[in-house]
Amino acid sequence: MKLYCLSGHPTLPCNVLKFKSTTIMLDCGLDTTSVLNFLPLPLVHSPRLSKLPGWVSKDGNINLEKELKECAKRVFVDSQPEFCLPEKELLDLSNIDVILISNYHCMMALPYITEHTGFTGTVYATEPTLQIGRLLMEELVNFMERVPKSQSATCWKNKEVQRMLPGPLKDVVDVWAWKRCYSMLEVNSALSKVQLVGYSQKVELFGAVQVSPLSSGYSLGSSNWIIQSHHEKVAYVSGSSLLTTHPQPMDQSSLKNSDVLILTGLTQMPTANPDGMLGEFCSNLAMTIRAGGNVLVPCYSSGVIYDLLECLYQFIESASLGTTPFYFISPVANSSLEFSQIFAEWLCHNKQSKVYLPEPPFPHAELIQTNKLKHYPSIHGDFSIEFRQPCVVFTGHPSLRFGDVVHFMELWGKSSLNTIIFTEPDFSYLDALAPYQPLAMKCVYCPIDTRLNFHQVSKLLKEVQPLHVVCPEQYTQPPLTQSHRSDLMLELQPPPMPYRRCSVLNLPFRRRYERVYILPELANSLVPSEVKPGISVATVSAVLHSKDNKHTLQSVSKPPPAPPSKKRKRVMEEPPVVQAPKPLLSGAVPLEAFLATLQKHGISEVKVEETADGHILHLQADDTLIQLEADGTHIVCDNNEPLRTTLRDLVLRFLQKL
Amino acid sequence: MDRECVSLLPRVCEVLRGSGSSLPDDTSLEKLLDWFTGLTEAGGSVQETCPCLLEFISAVVLKTSSDPGVICFTLKLSGLIASTEHGFKTLQGSVLDMAFNPQHWRDAGLWEDPCIRIGWIQGLRNMLQHSKAFTFFVQADFIVPLLQLQTDSSLFVASAANQTLAHTLVFFQPGGNGTFKDHGKVERTQTSISDEEPFSQDYSSVLGTISQFLKESLLPKENTGLHQSQQVLKLLALLLARARQPLRDKLLGTVADSLQELVAAGYSQLTPPLMDIILAAYSSSSTDDCVPDQRVTRLLSSMLNITKPSDLIGAAAAFLRGGRHHQDTVHTAWAVRILLLPLHIVTGQTLLGTDTTVEEHRFSIAEKLKIKTSCVSMICVCLTHTPPITLMPGDLLPCPPVSILTAVLSLLRIVSGDSSSLSSGCSEVFRNLVGSGKVQKCALEVLTGLSSSPGMKDKQTEVVTVLIQYLNNPDSDPTVIHKSYQALLKWMSVCEDVSSLTDNFKQDLIDVVKKRVCDMRWEVRDSTVEFLGKLAGVLKQGEETCGALLGGCWSTPLLREALQDPESYVRASAISALAQTLEPSWHQGAAVTQGQTDIVTRLLEILSQDTEAFARRAVVQYFIAWFSSRSSHTSPLSSPSSSSSSSSSSLRTNSVSSVLSLGSADLDWEVKVHTLELAELLMDEACSGHRGYRKGSDTPPALRHPYAVISARPLGEGAESDLAGALRNLVEQGVVWALLSGLVDCDRPVGLKACQLLITLRDTVCPRPPPGASPATAAASKVSCELPGCGWGREIRKIPGMKRLDRVKEADVAHRTRCGEVGIERTSEGGDSVCVSVCDILSSLGLDEKLDELSQSSDHVHNSALSLLQDILTASAAHTQQDTEPGQEVIVDCY
Repeated sequence: MKLYCLSGHPTLPCNVLKFKSTTIMLDCGLDTTSVLNFLPLPLVHSPRLSKLPGWVSKDGNINLEKELKECAKRVFVDSQPEFCLPEKELLDLSNIDVILISNYHCMMALPYITEHTGFTGTVYATEPTLQIGRLLMEELVNFMERVPKSQSATCWKNKEVQRMLPGPLKDVVDVWAWKRCYSMLEVNSALSKVQLVGYSQKVELFGAVQVSPLSSGYSLGSSNWIIQSHHEKVAYVSGSSLLTTHPQPMDQSSLKNSDVLILTGLTQMPTANPDGMLGEFCSNLAMTIRAGGNVLVPCYSSGVIYDLLECLYQFIESASLGTTPFYFISPVANSSLEFSQIFAEWLCHNKQSKVYLPEPPFPHAELIQTNKLKHYPSIHGDFSIEFRQPCVVFTGHPSLRFGDVVHFMELWGKSSLNTIIFTEPDFSYLDALAPYQPLAMKCVYCPIDTRLNFHQVSKLLKEVQPLHVVCPEQYTQPPLTQSHRSDLMLELQPPPMPYRRCSVLNLPFRRRYERVYILPELANSLVPSEVKPGISVATVSAVLHSKDNKHTLQSVSKPPPAPPSKKRKRVMEEPPVVQAPKPLLSGAVPLEAFLATLQKHGISEVKVEETADGHILHLQADDTLIQLEADGTHIVCDNNEPLRTTLRDLVLRFLQKL
Repeated sequence: MDRECVSLLPRVCEVLRGSGSSLPDDTSLEKLLDWFTGLTEAGGSVQETCPCLLEFISAVVLKTSSDPGVICFTLKLSGLIASTEHGFKTLQGSVLDMAFNPQHWRDAGLWEDPCIRIGWIQGLRNMLQHSKAFTFFVQADFIVPLLQLQTDSSLFVASAANQTLAHTLVFFQPGGNGTFKDHGKVERTQTSISDEEPFSQDYSSVLGTISQFLKESLLPKENTGLHQSQQVLKLLALLLARARQPLRDKLLGTVADSLQELVAAGYSQLTPPLMDIILAAYSSSSTDDCVPDQRVTRLLSSMLNITKPSDLIGAAAAFLRGGRHHQDTVHTAWAVRILLLPLHIVTGQTLLGTDTTVEEHRFSIAEKLKIKTSCVSMICVCLTHTPPITLMPGDLLPCPPVSILTAVLSLLRIVSGDSSSLSSGCSEVFRNLVGSGKVQKCALEVLTGLSSSPGMKDKQTEVVTVLIQYLNNPDSDPTVIHKSYQALLKWMSVCEDVSSLTDNFKQDLIDVVKKRVCDMRWEVRDSTVEFLGKLAGVLKQGEETCGALLGGCWSTPLLREALQDPESYVRASAISALAQTLEPSWHQGAAVTQGQTDIVTRLLEILSQDTEAFARRAVVQYFIAWFSSRSSHTSPLSSPSSSSSSSSSSLRTNSVSSVLSLGSADLDWEVKVHTLELAELLMDEACSGHRGYRKGSDTPPALRHPYAVISARPLGEGAESDLAGALRNLVEQGVVWALLSGLVDCDRPVGLKACQLLITLRDTVCPRPPPGASPATAAASKVSCELPGCGWGREIRKIPGMKRLDRVKEADVAHRTRCGEVGIERTSEGGDSVCVSVCDILSSLGLDEKLDELSQSSDHVHNSALSLLQDILTASAAHTQQDTEPGQEVIVDCY
């Protein structure tokens, strides 16, 4: 069993598991942090961005004025942003049989895999994962295509050139694997390969293994996966949460007793407690609004935003923000808000029960009804008519490189009354803000990551007791900046197996058993004999038939009665006569009883010697040795065949024949 | 004693003798005994006043079929009577012998009842106050059963036996006239008992028996377990705390070796009682001004070297807590080192310097710290002892006090998860501490405590930085934030110059407060608002820095915002905070801003509309704060109406009558009492300086010195004549209304307060001899006010004196027009409101009788001895009636 690690990002995993005869891809995450090296894509012409000076090396030897721009002492690539794809060279991706998706954040690289590698398999995901994943992809494509950029910068990627570049650009790796965003056509084609599954539904893969998704409690429809054969069980734990937010709670018990547990998607903010962050979010928001400023919340269009809105729903009254407008701007805002309300079966119990009242499970419905929350596909159109300040705006993309958020950054960045509150943990907020410097706006970092923290995960592992744990190497040591925090790492016995991008791990367990079926008629013919109370043994002669990874014992077909023929059949054509198998012996020879029997047969001069495995009986008179061991008996008797036979028969008396 | 009670007592005794089950409740006998004890302590002789009791005692003692409760009561009572020599003689002979003979009760099969045993012990304890009783005690050989009861299965019995044993040895110990105080009861001076030879023999034999017992039972045996050792240790601690020489020496001599052995055995549960003994020995030796006993010192040394880390820390902590350590510098220094060791290990701060003496404990403590539960509790114990440690003389400390502060700060950083600044320290322990709320709270309290230690000033900036980090930390829970605010206030109040704090700090503080005042958790908002109020108080002390920190008055808008808070506690805190931020200029009749007017308007809104009493109470107190600070700044006689319309005085005039009328009509009695306090303030302001005016209505008239000079101020004609003006002013403001409506209020505290104030007012404006004696009071007597025809007005008119006044009024209807000259005539819708002279009302209300009535607590009747006796009789009567209907008895459990 092997694990191929195609992504080094611990929360955006992409691993391939070879298990029995199947090749299974676990998640398909797209590392979008690469976009931080690019200039933002403004929705309206930005004189500031267009006037940025081009970059020329100090000695003037390298001139990349057109490709690289300098802003606040940092260099950015002026081109359509590109994403870092999962590794494609490690193994032939066309061999992949299935792709299992655990949540909508971990499927963003899907079109790159399904459309350009010769992939012919199936993708399995839950319905909310598919639908919301589609929305996120649609939004991403929309953000990119809305502001087309003809230029595609490649010169800077040249190894010789890159080495000379300043700052973070110099150190980025795998730049040639970076790709521009896919098109809607590719998205649709990729998603057409998705087959929907429900929690605990068992899907057979070629009869070899069974996969089944379990609720992971992180987002709508998010799942962990169990991949098992009859005798082996692999658990794949991706983004999971034990907090009581909107999704169905995590199913922990089904993870028990796995041989290997692949652990990814722990919280990216182990020191930031989501509750505290939510509180921080609300108080900063209220503080800014009271002072007459606007609040900008760069966020994804699904996920934490539902919790933020719910929290604000309760907070609005107490903070007397009743009259402040809340805007949610995204090409998919409407669908996201509405989808969340219809996936009742994927919600936590509390919200599910509301549906039967009937009431919308999420309170944002009421915010929309009372006009406190308004949503628009973009800043163009109706929004500009309704726009009223001070206000709170939720919009994407959290990287601040594309989407409507770019416009608000240009609009509000100059006033210290306004505040930007980061809630998504995926991007470093300082890097995200870099191309907007100098900035007067207040910045507040409240990353809300509800995924498991180290404390919770060690408790979970103690409970589910996997034999081996595999995890990204980042989880096996404390964070670089906090080397004292030994509580921020996984400490297990045996230690977890770390992986990084491009690792190939031999998972440390051997398959020892395989299930074989016996046909009824064959079973009927068996004659079991009891070797120990409760254990019977029978010998079987049969033909092993293997098809679709299923093994069946069938009775040996008797040769058809020879058709009456005038011609005498030639001997050679007859099937070989099947010899009856020799009887199998079982049992142990009890020393005392055996010595007594020997004496009865006149053999009395026996010297018994104890060995590591049993005993050696030395028949001194006859110069003969009998070795009695746990799994064999040897009689060493030269030139005395009658004695040997006698001894053999005496031994056989104590053994059972099958 | 009340004659009525004496007459009831025989019947009560009869009832008790009959059956105890008919008592009104199970505390009756206790109450009865308390009453007798009170009488005895007051010097009375119970048995002489109530001879029936003697008869009762002998009857109960003989009749063993009585209720155990009654027997217990009887035993205690006979002990009480026998506590005087005279009483003892009266009971001596058969009664005492039989009552206190355990065998008598065993034969009756009653000894099994803990009730009897406790009665026996406490009876003895009551009796053992003189040498005759002691001789009786020795001759009857009560010491043996008493020692047995020391490990009784009932905890109460065991504890009472311990107390009595200790009392016996200590009270009768030879050597000087000592006093023995027990549970706050009256001290009894020991007579010179010790001179009598046979007595001293008796005492020695008792001491011998007890010593032998202590020695034998100190070490745990297999069958008794630790229980007996614990009991014996408790007894020893009681004895050693009060024993003088030579008793102490004798006791120590007997048990020292056993104690040493016990320490060596290392029972964790015995550490606290062992330390109690050591401290008791220390404290009693220091009263004798001698050096601590060598044996005690050795014992202490062993305790401070136990190998179990938690016991070691516990022992060191107990020693320092005992406070009697100043003479023993060696052990104090050692205990300090032990308590600092965990902090030293965790933070990596070199608290112990080059001192390696405690090194042997280092490893075991470090190991213990790696276990979460013991780590947190150990650190907390050590932390709480650091503030007193820093106050010790320098030669006892292994490091300067400021290093301890640095360690506490490091610890606070570690607990909040910020370990980046640390170069050393034990990271395995960190994981136990990170995020521990208990340690955070403890460390913050300690930080508050450390502010007053010497040499800490230099660290102020570092301290406030850590505190602001705590306030900023999103994971800080409300209590942690509250404690951080308290610590911050304390550190800001002790520093001489707030301006020494950097601008950065000020900005950070303002930012964090602005954020916290918007917090989702009301507890945090509440603490923040409260902090703002107290901060203003701190800053007022140093006037100059006020501007520096309150620059631009950033806090008032935040507080004004908080008046709208959905949580009533926050609103109330905001109002109190606003009262504390009142600026001095506002008190002096200066012009008011729109903001200030808005606040007053909003406050009146809260007073009239808020559904929660906290906020309304705070509003009235706000006005009290405002007016009282004003009155200290302005002349008491300046008429508020004379100020310009935009000044604070006019704002005040406009609001005062609203506050009084809203406040006195409130549903909450505290609001009403506060309103009356406000009325008192206004009265003080209006009347101070007038003859006979007594500020502070709470002083009862009887306590005044009869020849005291009433007012130092010479009273001019003008001042006197203005009395009428002042009174008219009070009527106009609604003060008189508030007082009159308070008088008939259904809540006693309100009525009492109003009554006291009305008496003060009466004594000032219409003193006896009747009005007319002086022209000023004559003028004042003409001031009238209107009584409403309904509500409290009707209640007032129901008062007998007022009825008479009403009749006079009706007869004098022709004179009603005079009201117009001196008072205000209002016409109410009912039309039956009346206009009455204030003086007339005040003298007709029968205020003095009313005061007497209101001064008594509402259960005074119920709590009297007479009532108790009557209850017992009534209950018994009811019981006999109920006996006819079996099964109908209702058992009432009052407590």
